[in-house]
Amino acid sequence: MSNKLIDIVNITKSFDENVVLDQLNLYIRENEFLTLLGPSGCGKTTLLRILGGFETPDSGDIIFDGKNINNLPPNKRQLNTVFQKYALFSHMSIAENIAFGLKIKGKSKGYIQDKIRYALKLVNLEGYEDRTPDSLSGGQQQRIAIARAIVNEPKVLLLDEPLGALDLKLRQDMQYELIRLKNELGITFVYVTHDQEEALTMSDTIVVMNQGYIQQIGTPEDIYNEPQNAFVADFIGDSNILPATMVEDKVVKMLGAVWQCVDVGFGRNKPVDAVIRPEDIDLVKPEEGIIEGVVTHLIFKGVHYEMEVLANNYELLVHSTDMFPVGTEVGIKVDPFDIQIMKKPESEDAEAVGIEE
Amino acid sequence: MIKNGLKRFYLILIFILLYAPIVTLMVLSFNSSKSRSKWGGFTGKWYVALFQNQDIMNALYTTLIIALVSALVATIIGTAAAIGIQAMKPKFRTFMMGVTNIPMLNADIVTGISLMLLFIAFRFSLGFMTILLAHITFNIPYVILSVMPKLKQTSKHTYEAAMDLGASPVYAFFKVVFPDIMPGVFSGFLLAFTMSLDDFVITHFTKGPGVDTLSTKIYSEVRKGIKPEMYALSTIMFVTVLILLILVNVTPEKKASSSGQKQEIKKKHRISRFIFRKVVPTAIVIVIIAGGFFYGSQNSDAGNNQVIVYNWGEYIDPEVLTMFEEETGIDVVYEEFETNEIMYPKIQSGAIAYDVVCPSDYMVQRMIENDLLAEIDFNNIPNLKYIDSTYMEQSRQFDPENKYSVPYLFGTVGILYNKTMVDEPIDSWSVLWDPKYKDSILMQDSVRDAFGVTLKYLGYSLNSTDLDELNEAKNLLIKQKPLVQAYVVDQVRDKMIGNEAAIGVIYSGEALYTKQENPNLEYVIPKEGSNLWIDSWVIPKNAKHKENAEKFIDYLCRPEIAKMNFDYITYSIPNSEGRKLIEEDWMRESKVAFPDPEDLANCETFKFLGDDNDAVYNQLWREVKSK
Amino acid sequence: MKNRKLLTGPYLFWAASFIIIPLLMIVYYGLTNKEGSFTLMNLARITTPENLKALGLALLLSFISTLICLVLAYPLAMILSEKNVNQTSFIVLIFILPMWMNFLLRTLAWQNLLEKNGIINMILEFFHLPDQTLINTPYAIVLGMVYNFLPFMVLPIYNVLAKIDKDVISAARDLGANNFQTFSKIIFPLSIPGIISGITMVFVPSLTTFVISDLLGGSKILLIGNVIEQEFKQGSNWNVGSGLSLVLMIFIIASMALIAKYDKDGEGTAF
Repeated sequence: MSNKLIDIVNITKSFDENVVLDQLNLYIRENEFLTLLGPSGCGKTTLLRILGGFETPDSGDIIFDGKNINNLPPNKRQLNTVFQKYALFSHMSIAENIAFGLKIKGKSKGYIQDKIRYALKLVNLEGYEDRTPDSLSGGQQQRIAIARAIVNEPKVLLLDEPLGALDLKLRQDMQYELIRLKNELGITFVYVTHDQEEALTMSDTIVVMNQGYIQQIGTPEDIYNEPQNAFVADFIGDSNILPATMVEDKVVKMLGAVWQCVDVGFGRNKPVDAVIRPEDIDLVKPEEGIIEGVVTHLIFKGVHYEMEVLANNYELLVHSTDMFPVGTEVGIKVDPFDIQIMKKPESEDAEAVGIEE
Repeated sequence: MIKNGLKRFYLILIFILLYAPIVTLMVLSFNSSKSRSKWGGFTGKWYVALFQNQDIMNALYTTLIIALVSALVATIIGTAAAIGIQAMKPKFRTFMMGVTNIPMLNADIVTGISLMLLFIAFRFSLGFMTILLAHITFNIPYVILSVMPKLKQTSKHTYEAAMDLGASPVYAFFKVVFPDIMPGVFSGFLLAFTMSLDDFVITHFTKGPGVDTLSTKIYSEVRKGIKPEMYALSTIMFVTVLILLILVNVTPEKKASSSGQKQEIKKKHRISRFIFRKVVPTAIVIVIIAGGFFYGSQNSDAGNNQVIVYNWGEYIDPEVLTMFEEETGIDVVYEEFETNEIMYPKIQSGAIAYDVVCPSDYMVQRMIENDLLAEIDFNNIPNLKYIDSTYMEQSRQFDPENKYSVPYLFGTVGILYNKTMVDEPIDSWSVLWDPKYKDSILMQDSVRDAFGVTLKYLGYSLNSTDLDELNEAKNLLIKQKPLVQAYVVDQVRDKMIGNEAAIGVIYSGEALYTKQENPNLEYVIPKEGSNLWIDSWVIPKNAKHKENAEKFIDYLCRPEIAKMNFDYITYSIPNSEGRKLIEEDWMRESKVAFPDPEDLANCETFKFLGDDNDAVYNQLWREVKSK
Repeated sequence: MKNRKLLTGPYLFWAASFIIIPLLMIVYYGLTNKEGSFTLMNLARITTPENLKALGLALLLSFISTLICLVLAYPLAMILSEKNVNQTSFIVLIFILPMWMNFLLRTLAWQNLLEKNGIINMILEFFHLPDQTLINTPYAIVLGMVYNFLPFMVLPIYNVLAKIDKDVISAARDLGANNFQTFSKIIFPLSIPGIISGITMVFVPSLTTFVISDLLGGSKILLIGNVIEQEFKQGSNWNVGSGLSLVLMIFIIASMALIAKYDKDGEGTAF
């Protein structure tokens, strides 16, 4: 998990007047499961298509295994793509679909046969050789698309929202399937999605993108627990983002009270944003909290209750296993390490990476 | 970049291929010469003449009304059918689509003939209605095939959702399903309209008397030379559609930098949509309805006081018909045919009760022999006295007692040649076999004329039924074939005017006209002799308006009327008083138009040889043509 | 749902009256003689040398023009399918637009273009190039067929090509196929329904035309369409004409069978 396999250097791409990627830098390590996460139109699919060779960047370089592959056509690249809508060849049988890449490479018949059997087994669709793509369900087609890509033994598998068209249960099953596949194959996955849950479940590394810029790179835990800006915080999971003032290191003022936190280095009396995950807010008896509030909404969500608490004119979202009926007066407490402090965006560039309203 | 250049080049090439003939036609519409092959200078007069030409305007309205009504009916039946077919089990669906494909894939000629056979068998009188029925028939498949794909795309759920929300099935259909398939319905309608407009073959077989669409009108004119007004009309129609198309497709610029611009473009788009969706259809409907009323008013007073005339194409001055109608109050239903052989079965089958027909000599004989003609009451035709007795005598060859026919026009068959393109004066059919004129010879494309010429050259009768003589003639025609540039009928005229050929076999009537257009052309009756033909008016036995027919014939025998027709057609008139009225000396005294009896010494008139011999002739002719 | 099927009623009636019965009429005429008794003589008339030659020539010329149409239309359809989707209807209209100029006039205009002293030769002379002498030859007939029926080849092929998912092509490239392989293994096989439909829509009308051969062949060249037309018009022998039409229908039925086999979903429709 250490070697850089792909290095993306200063990539810029625009369609007509529209800048989709702006001076983007990113590296992908061998054997990692890297997810490009962001809302639609953030440039993640374009980046994937540039990697696949279907788009040429306006400027910048793609270095693959030490070699610049900017001008290498897709058929010469050691990457394979799994397309969003599967893109199976409807005029060929399943076996022919899977054999397509191998036949072009001129592999022997026996080798191809073995590979087909192996790939179908890998995706749990043994015995489907002679079926046609039309006769398969969406999930099955998706798995064939993956099988078709992996028989070519690519160093990197690019997946473009592969689970987007599947229903929830199937999507969850396929997530485990993909993790298993990745571990069995031992290759690099670059995965594009707008679904944060998918990203958190499967990835080694998540790259959060918005409007052509990378917002944050990190492990799922980093991204979830320590979002670097309001966009990431808002996009990943539910969160309360509150305007605050950093009084001094480890002391922050928000919601009309002074709180202890663990962040340092923001200066004195600087305006900042504070993020608190809903499950990190503890509701206690009014007198035990740092501030007081009133429960205004209550919904049962299965694992927990979701409540809205009005405190000092702010609506706070709270997840808790304890239930407080609407109208209850409660006290509010947060552990210092559950308060995440972020810089407020200042420059224009930083503004652009902010949340799109 | 090179690749893109190549692509553009290729597109342009195809575009030229598609549109070169269209540009040619547009240019011709401004050609002041009547002939297709000669540029006579720029003029806009055909556009003016077009709107004064009752025939063409009527044909235009018939065409548009048939196109509109057939497209509408086809759209309704076809859309309903598509919805029904979509709901069927796959087996039935396949069957229905197979049936639908029949008119699409079947040859037009087979479809046309099959419908004609049906209409005749079920005693539908051929006319406007039969064309309409035929057009609806071949239009429905276009609608179904346009609607089906859209239906496949629509989700069944929206329809069910609408019903769930309380809509009745009909309401749900019109409010939910219909908007979805609307583009398909619309393009189906447009396609049907276009196909109906462009159809010739099927209309040709299913039309009746007095009804002409533009296609059939043009086809009858192909033989005689297309009227330049037709080019003008086609140009107008084409340009109209082109402008509509441009209006509809003015797509706004992709990206507008400011929202203000966006607004403006949206507005523009809305306007163009408004024009396309509302203004244009309304305008078309208004024009067609107004035209329909106009057209209807032309025919509304028809009642039963009419005369149905069946004549050769371009064989009367249209003004004469108008004058006749005004004077007598009898409405003329006028229909044209191209050859005797096309005319005969229509009379024989009795599908249409024509009142007065103009067949050639041998066909008159055939009709008499087959008891298809009524005796003419010559008391009703006092003007017969103006007809030169010579021609009444000639008529006895096919109408021995002068009981059934009144000569209308006559002429000879001879050689038209271009003085600048031949070496020696021409006086014999032998030039038609002279290898030095290879590819410069135009031969008549009709059995009797082609064989008549050859039999005469061989010194036999042109009514020969002797198999040896006929085989000899056949072999000679086969020998001639490599020398022939084309077998044509009336196109000889245009081609000779345009210097396309040196020698052509032609009817004397055309010779006068061609000489006016191209002074290098001369006409000669070869010394071996030729065909003297007479086209005469006859009245079929099943005529419903016999008295009107006689009035009509009598009217045409008036000297001044005969002269008008001569001026218009330039074919020789047997009307001696009428001839005296011709102003221009060279025409009045022309030996071409009015040959001396000694010129006609070796000439014969065609006789009807009987069905069996006809079959022999046809068979031999086909052998010639297929060599 | 049941009453939706009833909507087919009017069409069913119409199809029976004006499609099926008329065809049966042709069958009846084709299999009887003038006296109305059964005979196969009318069908046998196709075997006379002249008719066989006319049929053979018609088959040859329509085969050649279908081939030319295919060769011309395929790249054209490919170029067009790369264009913006919004222009689809515009493209279709470009090809339908010429139909607003009458079919006969358009074909007649080719006479003007091709004639010895015609427009093309005037242009060739201007550039001091040798004259063409196409008019009144089978080549002119082929040209007329290609001209008139090219749109019926372009549109169905265009329609199937435009429907191919761009990702499918990307997938082929991704799996290692070069341009040629992508075309031969993916694009071409996927476009077969359109090709088949185009072929029949060009081949059948070419095979049966009589107008084009009349106008551009100088009536020197007799095709099977001309023979049938003459049987109805000049020979006025409807029985033989119907018999020959029946023979022609064999080819039409073969085309329908081809379409049914390769274009099950009706993807390859022209419009």
